[in-house]
Amino acid sequence: MIRTRNAFVPYLFVAPCVALLTFIFGYPLVKIFEFSFRQIRGFTGPFVGLRNYQLILNQPTFQDAISNNAKLLLAVPVIIVISVLIAIVLFERVRGWRVYRTILFVPYILSVPIVAVVLKNIFQFNGPFNETVRALGMEFLALDWLGDPNVAIWTIMIVVIWREVGFGIVLMLSRLLGLNAETLEAAQLDGANWRQRVVYVIVPQMRGIIEFYAVVNIIGMVAAVFAYVFMVTKGGPGTSTQVMELYIFNMLTRNALPGIASAVSVMLFIAFVIMILILFFLLRRSRGRELA
Amino acid sequence: MRGISRRNFLKSATALSLGATLSPVMKPFAQSGIDLSMWYWGEQELPGLQAYVDQAVAAWSEAGGGTVDVLLQDTDVVIPQFQTAAAANNAPDIQFLWNGIYHMESVWFGYLSPLNGLVSDAVLAESGATDLSHFEGNQYRVGWYPLQMVIFYNKALFDNAGLDADAPPATWDELLGACEALVSSGVPAFGGGIQDGFWGEWYFGQALAQSLDTPGEAIQLFIGDLDFREPRYHECWTRLEELVVNGYMNDDMSSLELYPGIDKVVTGDLGMSLSIGTRIPADNAAMDGNLGIMKLPVFGQGALADKPIVDSQGLGISTNSANKDEAADFLEFLNSPGQLDAFWNITSWMPSNVNWDSSVIEDPVVQQAWDEWNLGDQAPYVSNLIPAQFWTDAMFVASQSIVGGNMTGEEAGEQNARVVQEWRDFNPDLVENYQKWAEDLGN
Repeated sequence: MIRTRNAFVPYLFVAPCVALLTFIFGYPLVKIFEFSFRQIRGFTGPFVGLRNYQLILNQPTFQDAISNNAKLLLAVPVIIVISVLIAIVLFERVRGWRVYRTILFVPYILSVPIVAVVLKNIFQFNGPFNETVRALGMEFLALDWLGDPNVAIWTIMIVVIWREVGFGIVLMLSRLLGLNAETLEAAQLDGANWRQRVVYVIVPQMRGIIEFYAVVNIIGMVAAVFAYVFMVTKGGPGTSTQVMELYIFNMLTRNALPGIASAVSVMLFIAFVIMILILFFLLRRSRGRELA
Repeated sequence: MRGISRRNFLKSATALSLGATLSPVMKPFAQSGIDLSMWYWGEQELPGLQAYVDQAVAAWSEAGGGTVDVLLQDTDVVIPQFQTAAAANNAPDIQFLWNGIYHMESVWFGYLSPLNGLVSDAVLAESGATDLSHFEGNQYRVGWYPLQMVIFYNKALFDNAGLDADAPPATWDELLGACEALVSSGVPAFGGGIQDGFWGEWYFGQALAQSLDTPGEAIQLFIGDLDFREPRYHECWTRLEELVVNGYMNDDMSSLELYPGIDKVVTGDLGMSLSIGTRIPADNAAMDGNLGIMKLPVFGQGALADKPIVDSQGLGISTNSANKDEAADFLEFLNSPGQLDAFWNITSWMPSNVNWDSSVIEDPVVQQAWDEWNLGDQAPYVSNLIPAQFWTDAMFVASQSIVGGNMTGEEAGEQNARVVQEWRDFNPDLVENYQKWAEDLGN
C-alpha cells in the first residue's frame, strides 16, 4: 500500500478515469446543449437562441408525441402488478414453476424487431388474432389493432407489456427468494390468509425492488419504446403512436435538423433529472418516516 | 507470449510497419488504373443489382480502368452516411443518389459535383436522370434504372366483373365505374397497404401531379407561393376520400404495409393497387400474364395530368473526389451498350438509358412500361420534391388518416398548409434553395 500525506495524490490516480468519463458522457451532453441553441446543418450553424424550443413546443406533432408517451406510462403499474402477482404465484412453488418461469421470460430475450414483426402480423385486421375471435363469434374483439388511430397506441402498449413483464417476473421472483422465510411462516401460523400475507408481509418487503422497477419502467416508457413504435407502426396511423424518441429520430435522420433533435433531447434530459430528483426525494421521505 | 521471442516479435512488427508504410507508395506502380470508390444502394429493391455491379467493376478493370471499391449501403444510411463522409471530406468518388430532394440537399450543402463538362452531354441527356436532377442549370445525377409509377390491375378480376381488361379506366368517372363493378363482383376494388406510409407517397406523387402544370408548382406549394387550401391543390386528397367514402378500398389497408398490399392484386384479392415498374416481371409471371398496368385515371386539369410518371435511381460524383474525370469515365462506361445489356441480363430489369435496345424484352407488360412510360411524354415524380418534414408530418399523416376515415380531403389541405408553414419555420435556409429549384423546374 502506498502511503502519502499529499491529499491530491488519490485524485491523481482517478483523474484519467474521470477525464475519460467526462469525455465520453460530458462532451456529447455539452454538444447537445450547444446544438439545441443553433440551427445546425452538418456539424455547425448559426446561434438561434431559444427558437428551436419555441418551434417544437408549438408543433402539434410534438404535442402528440408527449401525449402518447404519457399514455404509455399507464403501462407501468400494469407491468408491476402483473409481475408481482405472477412472481408470487411462482414463489408459492406451484407445480412446474421453473418451467413457467422460463416460458414467461422467453419474450424478454426475444429481440424487439422479432417480437414486433410477429405481433404485427398477428394483429393485422385480417390476421390470425382477428380471424380467431371472428371464428369464436366475438366480432367485437376484431378491432383494427394497428390501423385504427384510437386503438394503435394501446396495441403498442400490449406488446410492450407482454415483453417487459418477463423481466419483471424474474426480478420480483429473485427478491422473493431472498425474503426471510421465518416472517412468512410466522404470518401463516398467526392465521394470515394468502391475500393478507401478500398485502401485509410480502409486498412491504419488496418495496425497494418495486420502486426501482417502477423508476426503470417510467424511464423506459419515455425513452426506450422507439424500437416498438418504429417496428410496429412508425408513428402511425397519422400521429396516433408518435413518441418523443421517434420525433427525435425523424428530426435527426429524415429532416436533417440536429438542432431541433437536440432541443427535444435536452428537454427529455431535464425532465428525467427532475423526475429522478422527485423520486429520490419521495424515497428519502418515506425511508425517514419508516425510521421514525 | 509463449513461442514468440521478443526479437521475433520486434522483427515481425517492424516488417508489418514497413509494409503498411510503403504500400500506398508502391500502389501506383502495381497497376495502371486509378482506384475509385463507389457507395450504392438498390439490391434491396432490385435483386441482382449487386451481381451486376460486381460484373461492371470487373469489366471496367479488365478494360484497364483500374479498380472500383464498392460498398452496398443499408437503406437508412444512404443519405446520412454520404453526407457525414462528405462533411468530413471523406466521401466516395461515386455515390448512389435517389432522385429529387433526396440528393438535392447534398447539392445545396456542396457535397455533389455538377456533372456538366465531366460526363458527356449525350449520356447526361439520355441516361434517364429526369428533370429533378437539375439545379441552377447543372445536372447532378446520371440515370441508372427507372421506376415507373403505375397502377396494377388484375385482368382476371376485371373479366369477372364484366369490365374490359384491355381498356382499363382512363378517367376518374371510369375508375369509379370500374370500382363499383369490382365491388359488386365481390372483391375490394382499389387500395393496397398504407401502414408504412409509402402507398401514401406513391398516391400523392401521382395524384398531385394532375393538378400541376409544371413540377415547379409543387415547390411553390412548399415555399408558400401557392396554397394547399385551394381546392385545386388538395383535390388529390378529396379524390382519395371519395374512394374511401364509397367503400372501394380494402378493409385491411390501414394494417397492411405497401408490398403485402400489392400482393393482394397478385393473389386475386384486390382489383387495383398503386405499384412500381420493377415488380412487373415477377408479378406478371405469378399471375400467368393476367397483370395489367395503367396510369392513375385523370381527374385533374393540370398539364401534367395523364402523363406517365417515371422516377429513376441514379449515380453522382462527390465534390470530395480527387478522381472526378475517372469517375465520370466509369459512369459513361455504365451507360455503354454492352453494360446496358449486361444490366438487363443480370437484373432482369431495364436500365433507364433511352438508347438501350429493348428488343430483348419478352413480357408484353414490361414492354408496355418501357414504351409508354420511359419513351413517352413523361412527368417526373413530384413526391421526390417533398421536404422530409412534409413527408413525415403531412403526407404520411393525411394519407393514413383519410384512408382510416378520420380526415376529409379539405382537412388534409388545411393540415398540409400548416405543415409547410412549419417546414419553412424550421428550415429558413432551405427555402431560398427551393425557390431557385422551382425556377429550374418551371414556375
